[in-house]
Amino acid sequence: MSAAMDQTAQIRQKARELLENKVVDCVIGYERATDGVNARPLFVYEPEEADRLIFDQTCTHNLTRYLLNRKGKPTAIVVKPCDSRAINLLLNESQLQREKIHIIGVVCPGVVERQWRQASAKLLNACQVCQQHVPVIYDVLVGELPSEPTVAEHYPDVVEMEAKSAEERQVFWKEQFSRCIRCYACRQACPGCYCPECFAERLDPLWVGIRIAPGENEVWNTIRAFHLAGRCIGCYQCEQVCPVDIPLSLLNRKLEKEVLGLFNFQAGMDAETSPPFSTFKKEEKLGIGE
Amino acid sequence: MAVDFEPRIVGFLCNWCSYAGADMAGTARICYPSNIRIIRVPCSARIDPLLVVKAFQLGADGVLVAGCHPGDCHYTEGNYYSRRRFAMLHPFLEYLGIERERFWLQWVSASEGKKFSQVVSTFTDGLIKLGPRKAVTVQ
Repeated sequence: MSAAMDQTAQIRQKARELLENKVVDCVIGYERATDGVNARPLFVYEPEEADRLIFDQTCTHNLTRYLLNRKGKPTAIVVKPCDSRAINLLLNESQLQREKIHIIGVVCPGVVERQWRQASAKLLNACQVCQQHVPVIYDVLVGELPSEPTVAEHYPDVVEMEAKSAEERQVFWKEQFSRCIRCYACRQACPGCYCPECFAERLDPLWVGIRIAPGENEVWNTIRAFHLAGRCIGCYQCEQVCPVDIPLSLLNRKLEKEVLGLFNFQAGMDAETSPPFSTFKKEEKLGIGE
Repeated sequence: MAVDFEPRIVGFLCNWCSYAGADMAGTARICYPSNIRIIRVPCSARIDPLLVVKAFQLGADGVLVAGCHPGDCHYTEGNYYSRRRFAMLHPFLEYLGIERERFWLQWVSASEGKKFSQVVSTFTDGLIKLGPRKAVTVQ
């Protein structure tokens, strides 16, 4: 873990520097959680607190969500490569001001599954197929550039699901959604879900009924995923926070795959290209309505 | 069962082309199946995917979305946006277990009464062949 130790030291030093020089008011990073094994988010406001910061493979959170609460205030943030794409997304959607954020990008070998009071060695599913080990946007980069990664199939589970019959898929998703308790943790954790009023909370018209029933859960989960079509940056926070383990990334990645195929677009790779649904080409053939 | 099955179709038609196309079918006395329940919307871009998903949740056997031909949108470019949107929604619905044949996007202009009737007939026939949506119960 010498690389991680090194990254931790560099993050601490950088955070201290930024706070001492009053470049930012706050550094958002990770610290060791009370269970002594996992990581939790940390907001550092004083230079002498900077030594609480850490970075290693237990740092699973996507902290960019917290930037939305600090609009207009100069803030530094520690981001992994997937999280850095969320910053691009939010910049593109005018939710952040670039000059107000200082991005400490970390080179990421992938993070591990969270287990209560237990060190896990199993990489997240998302990290096993991840092709992005260096942040796409940063002011300072922490860590060594890796040698070329080797990745085979990016969507093995999606392809497997597509190969099933419609009925099998229907049964599968019904079963998954029937467990949903609609706690909306997936929405709260997502950097892309920032609408002040979510469609799920509208009472008139009532899009998603209050009753926790399979049909209502299905509408919620379908539309939640669809609102992120072409916007999901693949940090898998939604799946990680789901208390009933619904494989939400299987939905998100299907849409990601379609967007890549139809529009050759990947969300958050830069801050300039608009998501596919906010633009169009007149002469394109999309295999529908023709 | 398949013989008696009458599919319930929700049709979202754009006010300027497809709804007028349906009107045209009516005034020209062209028959089309009464399985379709038409909802008039200002533009095909008004049709939030939420409306389609909601229609399926409430028991529709099929959903038809129809708007002006690309290039003919009353609001110049609404249907280009809806084309992208539904090109994504279609495979996604299929992925969730709603067969491809149950969702259609069609361009029908105000003068195409005949096309409208053909679209509805073909869509209905396809759904009758497919049968009702299966009720899946989970423990």
